Amino acid sequence: MKKLYWLMSLSVIYLWIMPNSAEAQLPFDEIMMNKGEVCAALLYEHGSWNQYWEGNNLRGNANIGTLTRQMVMPMVVVGISEKLNIIASLPYVSTDPSGGTQVGQRGIQDLSLSLKVEWLQKRLGKGNLILLSNTNFNTPLGNYLSDYLPFSVGLGAPEIGMRGIAGYRMDNGLVFRTAFAYLWRGQTEIERNFYYQDGGVYSNFMNVPNAVNFHAAVGYWTLDNQLRLEGTFMSLNCVSGDDIRAYNAPQPTNKMNISQVGFWGQYYIKGRKGLGAIAYCNYTVNGRNVGKASNLGVGLTYQFQAFAKK
Amino acid sequence: MKKHLRKYIVIILVFSLFISCLEETPRYLEFEDYSFQGIDDKGGTWKSIILVAPDQFIVPAPQETSSSSYQQELTNLKQEMASVSNEQKKAVVYWSSNPILRWNEIALELAAKYNLIPGPNLDGTYTLPNPASPEGPPPFPFAHPPYTSRMLAYLSVAQLDGLIAAWHYKFEYNRPAPYQVDSSIEPAYPKNTLPSYPSDGAVVAMVSKEILSAMFPLEKAYLEALSQEHLNSLVHAGINVQSDIEAGKTIGTEMAKLALQRASTDGMSKAQTPKAVSDSIKNAAFENFGWVWENMENPVRPVGLTPLFGKVKMWNVPTVEEVRPGPPPAPGSPEFLKDVEELKNYAKNLTLEQRRIANWWQDGLNTYTPPGHWNKFAKEAIIKNQLNPIRSARVFAYMNMAIMDAGISCWDAKYYYHYPRPIQTIPGFKTILGTPNFPAYTSGHSTFSAAGATVLSYFFPADAAQFTKWAREAADSRLYGGIHYRFDADVGIEQGKNVAKYTVEKAKNDGAQ
Repeated sequence: MKKLYWLMSLSVIYLWIMPNSAEAQLPFDEIMMNKGEVCAALLYEHGSWNQYWEGNNLRGNANIGTLTRQMVMPMVVVGISEKLNIIASLPYVSTDPSGGTQVGQRGIQDLSLSLKVEWLQKRLGKGNLILLSNTNFNTPLGNYLSDYLPFSVGLGAPEIGMRGIAGYRMDNGLVFRTAFAYLWRGQTEIERNFYYQDGGVYSNFMNVPNAVNFHAAVGYWTLDNQLRLEGTFMSLNCVSGDDIRAYNAPQPTNKMNISQVGFWGQYYIKGRKGLGAIAYCNYTVNGRNVGKASNLGVGLTYQFQAFAKK
Repeated sequence: MKKHLRKYIVIILVFSLFISCLEETPRYLEFEDYSFQGIDDKGGTWKSIILVAPDQFIVPAPQETSSSSYQQELTNLKQEMASVSNEQKKAVVYWSSNPILRWNEIALELAAKYNLIPGPNLDGTYTLPNPASPEGPPPFPFAHPPYTSRMLAYLSVAQLDGLIAAWHYKFEYNRPAPYQVDSSIEPAYPKNTLPSYPSDGAVVAMVSKEILSAMFPLEKAYLEALSQEHLNSLVHAGINVQSDIEAGKTIGTEMAKLALQRASTDGMSKAQTPKAVSDSIKNAAFENFGWVWENMENPVRPVGLTPLFGKVKMWNVPTVEEVRPGPPPAPGSPEFLKDVEELKNYAKNLTLEQRRIANWWQDGLNTYTPPGHWNKFAKEAIIKNQLNPIRSARVFAYMNMAIMDAGISCWDAKYYYHYPRPIQTIPGFKTILGTPNFPAYTSGHSTFSAAGATVLSYFFPADAAQFTKWAREAADSRLYGGIHYRFDADVGIEQGKNVAKYTVEKAKNDGAQ
């Protein structure tokens, strides 16, 4: 049991903050794997922006042009029990600006481990009410430089997140879901020992602000539960941090806020087991100190029984 | 229930572990108060830089310590010390017995704050900061490396000259510190036998406030509050009575005026030229050498950064021409191509250590610039060697004069040779550092750093190897960052050393040995 506690505490979510990060992932939905089931997924995401918010001011910058961000992310979800799932993912990210003279980056970003627990499943009216939690831990792998925004591949800080999820799945296939998370972020190590954040700071560490994350979706299951379609809304707001200074580069200490609307589709080709396909897109409707990104993602999933139910 | 409790305890433990792992992010250097290595009783005889004579400002003789007015001041001091608030206690610790270090830190912070390059307007034009309307936009100043080198030079020179005047009167009048007169007074800092009239702290508070207010006009109120806090801390620390402070304030105020008078006529106001002048400088270079530097930004900046900074009055070098290096290899020449290959190789195969060096020395926008970086080294060396305020001021003054002279010489070369940057000469070249808005040859980082290292090596010979190594690293960092050729860096190092020799020669003869 002790081991499990440590695992719980060492678990997490995906790094939301990155302006272009994949928005729709399993850690916050209401779906659980059965015991012994494993779902392996490979996702590709393409995001880009040509405008960003400097503080609250939306602007372009010809010396960045359009910043394209691509991500390949393997992910595994394991059904430890029907009430307990483990999710792990590790994205590889590349960035490429079309303008200016600075070079884009590529590299392995942050390992994410998360533990999803179903606390309640209850018949309510013409559907089921489901309450879940997701505890997340993630940590940068590799040696990417976080202090190279907007071109860096991540924020370079560890993170612990606690998320509560409430879903209502109706018998007619409609799904309503909302999730709320608080994300504790640590520090990112940078390669200089003085920087400016509302004054001089003599340190080679930057504090990455904590954030709150809200997620809502309306979904519909159809074709004998083989197709799942969802409209999504996601917002992430840092609880502290500074603004990008005039015509200056962003830095990991910034108060990054973002709101996105999106669409998500998942198709299980032959029912629950076997191959599936995912496609999603999302669009940034508002933000602060982030790019106004549009993202498109596609992925393949493969679900199978890895070990016995009993 | 018990199970849950255990779980919560584990979670709380993990979170506290998470938080306790956080490194500190201090806003200033904390250091233990130290006893000065000597009080320099001959400090009043040292050669000053701008000040003609140490008694140039009249400071009247103080009241005797036996006088009733002095006794009243002592009583007031003791009362103030007895009722000191927590905030005031913190201020006493912060300002320390060597406030030169704090004002230097404040200067670096303002340099970083104002080191933002004006962005383009919506129509693609650029507006430059204007000292006549500092609010902007863009705000004045743009504290780029030349601006910051000059700001630090005037600050440090005025501090040194002000302290030379203070030391002169201290040892002329020999009025002891309050704690020497009244043994019931326990000062906040280690005791010494330095006479306290006029207050050296007050000189530093006033001169620093005035110089920095002129250099950063939007910060007047902030600086006024800081100087007031500093002045108050002198009483709360038990090191000065009010008349010590008043006499120090007089020197500080007058000294700042004198320094700012020099600053107003040193040619800096003409350094950022109109486009016509900039174009004629460019054309002259093209006729002389057959190449020309172009700004590669989008939209293109019409004028490079301070084309005539090379004409600003130098501190210790008679003419800028005598320290001007020879020409760089022509683009396309074998030597040039060799250095280009090196850059391409770094861009392709940069090691983590090389990346670290490029970033550690980046000192670009929104930082204190390379001159600031060397001031940080000087500060650390001063603490390590436990220098008193006048000796600290001397280190900063000579180093910052040499650094500004190096900047002037570097900018002279930059616009005389007008040499293109790697992003201009190498098709499709991309860099991890932003390329600055001025020509390549010679490298500012190299020149500033070699000058700083040369002066610091003279003052702190035990650490000379470290300073030299840092300067070399600063020079190399620009190659790793892809914004300079090796010849920019190598020649810049020699140029910086050469320029700094003039300042070291002056330091050798200032009577402080």
